[in-house]
Amino acid sequence: MITVEGLSKSYGGSSFAVRDVSFRVDKGEVVGFLGPNGAGKSTTLRVVAGFLGATRGKVVLAGNDVAEASLLARAAVGYMPEAVPLYPEMRVSEYLTFRAELKGVSRRQRREHVAFAAERTGIASVIDKLIGQLSKGYRQRVGLADALVARPPILILDEPTAGLDPNQIRDVRSLICELGHDHAVLLSTHILSEVEATCDRALVISKGTLVAEGTIDALRKKSRSSGVRLVLSGTGDVARALERNEAVAHVGPAGDGVYVVTWQEGAGDVDVAAENVARAVVEAGFGLRELTPVKASLEQVFAELTQETPN
Amino acid sequence: MKGFWPVFKRELFSQFVTPTAWVLVVVFLAIQGVHFYLLVLHFAQNAELSVDQGPVQAFFGGAILFYLPLILLCPGMTMRLFAEERRSGTIESLLTAPVSTPGLVLGKFAAAFVTYVAMWLPTVLYIVVLRGAGEIDWHVVATSYLGVLLIGAGYLAVGTLMSAMTESQLVAILLSSLVILGLFVLGIGEFIFEAGPAHDFCAYVSVWGQMGELSKGIVDLRRLVIDATFIVLPLFVTVRAVDAWRWG
Repeated sequence: MITVEGLSKSYGGSSFAVRDVSFRVDKGEVVGFLGPNGAGKSTTLRVVAGFLGATRGKVVLAGNDVAEASLLARAAVGYMPEAVPLYPEMRVSEYLTFRAELKGVSRRQRREHVAFAAERTGIASVIDKLIGQLSKGYRQRVGLADALVARPPILILDEPTAGLDPNQIRDVRSLICELGHDHAVLLSTHILSEVEATCDRALVISKGTLVAEGTIDALRKKSRSSGVRLVLSGTGDVARALERNEAVAHVGPAGDGVYVVTWQEGAGDVDVAAENVARAVVEAGFGLRELTPVKASLEQVFAELTQETPN
Repeated sequence: MKGFWPVFKRELFSQFVTPTAWVLVVVFLAIQGVHFYLLVLHFAQNAELSVDQGPVQAFFGGAILFYLPLILLCPGMTMRLFAEERRSGTIESLLTAPVSTPGLVLGKFAAAFVTYVAMWLPTVLYIVVLRGAGEIDWHVVATSYLGVLLIGAGYLAVGTLMSAMTESQLVAILLSSLVILGLFVLGIGEFIFEAGPAHDFCAYVSVWGQMGELSKGIVDLRRLVIDATFIVLPLFVTVRAVDAWRWG
């Protein structure tokens, strides 16, 4: 549904806000776009949604190139910008009707589409209110209703839960999960639990480049801080026993026969690596009493991925 | 032209649901009311003044009170069009909807133009009032209003362009007032330069000269070409400017 190839965006000059980003999002998938503030999330989403032109690379939405068949590509997308800009002088129903017409919903279907989007996002009770009088949470959901109103196959949501209270966050997340069944959803966030709660897959961006991509589990495994905790009996040099093991990056003694082994970045299958470690310590004459996989917290993964990227 | 209608309707809605349009229309009608009153008074006291110069001719282009409101009010009608959308960020939702740029620009321009027409509409009453006092040449009235529409459309097109140039409504209104004033002053060159190319050029683009002719019922094709240029060119540049934002 969404195919991005070698996307770069520069705001003039030689510095790039986004550099050589490629990914795809298929129908029935919710993909989280993760990165610290200023990493290039919003810029990427703006280019994908067709608001900004790519400096290099291309974006294809539902089979249409955003640069070449812009109107067709844009018609396939419901986009919710980060700041959720709305017209304060319009009523919610007027605004959604305007947006539906703008997106080419036929006159006969408009009322039904608006009612549907309002109901899905829980704003039916404020449908006759002026947008300028709505609270932040409601305005956020009006933005979401706007993205849904033409029932596009692709949804691009820039920080959809920013500024919501915990109950609203839960509602919006479950709505996104539901929408994920028959849409291609790309959402950006810097809240990690959001990715865990809603997304099938995550893309991690840092300083304008994609530093990781995959399921949440795969990302965790990818992290260097994941490894195994060993409890051994006997004496000797554990580090030397494991030095031939390519998957091992570091062996940290933690006292009382406890050692923490961390994996090399891109170590491959960590389960096989753990087996190899077990075999190696036993062959070196240690007694293996305990071997526990250490999973990195998502926060750790995030911090490693986004802080260690050389600029 | 995709998106013209919804953009046009929303823009018109916005003009009349916020005080902008009402304030402009009231200010305009107050000025034109005084203008008309003074003219009628003048002609009533000097009945045998001139054969080919009546209140209608004088009203349309005979006095600075016709031009001054246009120079000041047209930029007021267009300043919001793009500057406000860019400042508030709504331009992002607008440009990611399947709307063609010409549709967007023309929709906004057309809404400003309809507001302009609504502003002038009550002045038809003046002519109706005059009819009670004497004969009206409806041909002259028609050509005069043609001039009003053409010149207004040109000024609004310039205003639309200036609004697309900046995020500040204040800068937009100042820039467009300056450009419109500049175009107006250019026409005065007709009386400054000696006969020659400069004189001819200034006379050719003179708004005052054009309204003088139209208010006498003279329609000159060359003037219409100039008007069309002042409408089409700024709008075309606006379309290009809006497209250029994507690549900025």
